[in-house]
Amino acid sequence: MGMEIPFDVANIPGPEMGEVAPPEVIGNYISRAKRPLLVVGSEILRDDFFLETAIEIGKKGIPIAATGHSIRGFVEKGYTENVNYCNLHELTNCLRDPNWKGLDGKGNYDFVIFFGIVYYYASQMLSCIKNFAIDPLIRAVSIDRYYHPQARMSFTNISPKMEAEYKDMLNRLVSSIKRRGGQES
Amino acid sequence: MELLKKGGVFTIAGLENVQIRIGEIEEEEEEWEPLGPHPMPGIATLRDWDFKLLKRYKPFYAPFCDMCCLCTYGKCDLSGNKKGACGIRMDAQHGRIVLLACLVGCSAHCGHGRHLLHDLVRRFGRDTPIDFGPGVNVEAPLTRLICGIKPRTIGDYERVFDYIEEQIVQLADALHTGQEGSYLDFESKALHMGMLDSLSKEAADIIQIAAYGMPTSYEGGGPDVPLVEVGIGTIDTNKPVILVIGHNVPPAAEIGDYLTDNGLEDSVELAGICCTAIDTTRVYKKAKIASALGRQLRVIRAGIADVVVVDEQCIRADILEQCKRVHSPLIATNDKALHGLVDRTDDNPDEIVADLVNERVPGVVILDPERVGEVAVKTAMQIAKRRKALRLILSDEEFRHYVSECTQCGNCTLACPNGLPIGEANQSASTGRIEPLAALFDKCVGCGRCEQVCKKHIPIVDVITKAAYPQLREEKGRMRIGRGPVWDSEIREVGAPIVLGTIPGVIAPIGCGNYPDGTRDAWLIVKEFAERNYIVTLTGCMAIDAALWKDEEGKTVYEQHHGRFDAGGVLNIGSCVSNAHIHDAAIKIASIFARRTLRGNYEEIADYILSRVGACGVAWGAMSQKAASIATGFNRLGIPAVVGPHGTKYRRAFLGRPDIKEDWQIIDATDGSEIYFEPAPQHLLVACETVEEALPMIAKLCFRPSDTDRGRSIKLTHYIDLSLKYLNIYPPDWHLFVRTATDLPVAKKDELLKKLEDEHGWEIDWKMKRIKEGPIRGYDPSFNPTNLKRLIREKK
Repeated sequence: MGMEIPFDVANIPGPEMGEVAPPEVIGNYISRAKRPLLVVGSEILRDDFFLETAIEIGKKGIPIAATGHSIRGFVEKGYTENVNYCNLHELTNCLRDPNWKGLDGKGNYDFVIFFGIVYYYASQMLSCIKNFAIDPLIRAVSIDRYYHPQARMSFTNISPKMEAEYKDMLNRLVSSIKRRGGQES
Repeated sequence: MELLKKGGVFTIAGLENVQIRIGEIEEEEEEWEPLGPHPMPGIATLRDWDFKLLKRYKPFYAPFCDMCCLCTYGKCDLSGNKKGACGIRMDAQHGRIVLLACLVGCSAHCGHGRHLLHDLVRRFGRDTPIDFGPGVNVEAPLTRLICGIKPRTIGDYERVFDYIEEQIVQLADALHTGQEGSYLDFESKALHMGMLDSLSKEAADIIQIAAYGMPTSYEGGGPDVPLVEVGIGTIDTNKPVILVIGHNVPPAAEIGDYLTDNGLEDSVELAGICCTAIDTTRVYKKAKIASALGRQLRVIRAGIADVVVVDEQCIRADILEQCKRVHSPLIATNDKALHGLVDRTDDNPDEIVADLVNERVPGVVILDPERVGEVAVKTAMQIAKRRKALRLILSDEEFRHYVSECTQCGNCTLACPNGLPIGEANQSASTGRIEPLAALFDKCVGCGRCEQVCKKHIPIVDVITKAAYPQLREEKGRMRIGRGPVWDSEIREVGAPIVLGTIPGVIAPIGCGNYPDGTRDAWLIVKEFAERNYIVTLTGCMAIDAALWKDEEGKTVYEQHHGRFDAGGVLNIGSCVSNAHIHDAAIKIASIFARRTLRGNYEEIADYILSRVGACGVAWGAMSQKAASIATGFNRLGIPAVVGPHGTKYRRAFLGRPDIKEDWQIIDATDGSEIYFEPAPQHLLVACETVEEALPMIAKLCFRPSDTDRGRSIKLTHYIDLSLKYLNIYPPDWHLFVRTATDLPVAKKDELLKKLEDEHGWEIDWKMKRIKEGPIRGYDPSFNPTNLKRLIREKK
């Protein structure tokens, strides 16, 4: 762990900046969530591996909000069981409301995992969650190849030439997510 | 009266020592229409309307910075919606920042308009008539609506600017520490600023149209305006090239006049970047459009300009440094952007030319547009031969050297607004495969931040330009020149189909070029909606960028589609200030089609537009503060806007929540009953991550409660079809917009009824193919929606 440069180098929000963490730590953090939500964006479509990773996480009982046009990938894979299309702006607007009923009508989430979303859009939405989804608190982490200071935890910046290492990190992260009975709590 | 025209100074016989000065004669406004309730509204006049909007479309804040650094109490940490030392919370602080952005944007349009007024009154006289021809009787809808004034001459706009400037100052005052503390009131003020911005734009464009005789409804105007060449490849670099950049057209117009007067139209190229380019084509037939804002740095670096003339707005702050690099003399023509140059306005033009040609000075300030014309042309002609001998594009050897120097450290990617993979593209180029590097040319927003952080000092912008040079030389599009106002006669034809929904919407791609994925998205948005018989009205950089792409037949969207304000039309309305005519078209639907009075009647007209006119702005590459005030002006008038992902950095959106029933109450003005209605439109300002997501969203934001069943059916057809095409799903909320079975697209009626039954639990009468139970509300052809109680005809 340590200080890192934001992926968009000047994107320094202020005194409260997220931690850089290894996959297992983020995986354990996700495992402690009561109602987590995986929020994926269009960048997961750049390689089948990322779509499969999202589906793996989904199969652990974590519902998926597919933003941007990422829903296309899930439909093409035939995995739509716990996947909902959402516009990220609309979704974040709901997340900041404690009274929101959630995608399943059972209430808001306590944890969101951002994955494959255009960096600066994700950063802005993470900022909204950090600053306004505070009572009750929603914890947000990023598992993209960027350091996201607006998230509570994220990976470090990972150069595109380190793609294999990044994929390995995602595999380790997925392995470390433990959900009771593979179902949503 | 003659005396008054000479300055309003006269003496009375016998009282020769007494001088009387009359500054202005205030004529009583002719009673051309009954005066509405809100002429020249102040900050709080339309607050009730704003609060109605803000209740349904609640401000959403995504802070760009968690701190406030505006006073010496600070820096204050506002994270977690904490308060600063002055007591302001994070949400209010962000409302404040939004107001500040709108202030800057509105000031740019107002300042530009006032500057134009000064120049054009001096050049053409304040009595220059506003006459837009037989097709345009409602010449200034926003001016009539907001100010209650029907302007006859450009001089009448002095009063309008007086009003705007006074309001801007009052709103700026509200930004001071210890003033406003409510985020809702900051947003109301931002909406007020947005409205003033729209008025400023209209004023500026009307003045220049009237003075320069830009296209109107006279012959050759409107849908019949000519096409103009667009793209770097269209510029004949064998000739001396003058490049104008900015928004304020008088200097460029004077260059055109000088070329014409001296028979040099075919000897010298006059090309432009950004809105000055668009406006130059409205006054000088031979002008060309080099590019939109996003290509500015690269056009300059390509070295094609023998002289660069800048006026105001959207000019690179380092323009002088960039011009020096390629030995292009710079002429600054506007006191708002002087770039440290010496003011030579009153010097002998030939001496200035000699200094520029011999590079004794890198540039000059000339504040008199007429003198700019002479100096720019003479300089370009004298310096061109020497400049043409310069080699400004990298040689093959230099290119190979630079790309092989790259260590792929990733600093450029971290500095890039779009996070482009420059290092990987360099590596590929070093092995001889330049395609990835060339492909970055269009995706690059042209900021140059990458070069500053390169440890190897690689001129990355030049490297990308070199890789893309062959395609750059082939960048040759065509677009219509800015047509200005939509004609009243066109509104008469389309008013009913738009309000009834059978023309599914008016889509307005506008604004800057900070696109997430290149200019092709601009083209795609226009193409999709024009082919679906929406009316597409473009302005500014997006109008230019959309013209860079062609279909299989080699035609641009402007060549492929007609230019009428009618179904399937693709209209270049003009520059940034011209986009007031898009507001105006919506206002004229209320005025000409629905016969609502305009004068001082903003609230009622905005209410009409919000409920009935299916229009949606699209600022896919919104970047500037002007774009913030433009969008906010659209929003107050009841027109939603979609922005690209960079638009989230404006920090604020206006988002509706369909799941909160109490937000979706509207009044039936026929009997005063309150109706729970579908979210139409759902948002006033929303961002999409990708163009694939934006296309169905834009279609969704064209729903209005007034749609007839036939209109709703057409709108639903496109919403569903675009979602299936680009997202591969039925929109999850399509059922919210179904009121009756006849709202359903005919071709899919059975399928959709089944989905409503199976997926949403609606009760269907299959024998009659009717919906028995399920919709938010039924369809009532006599429904007369309003958000204003005062418009109820008979109270229940």
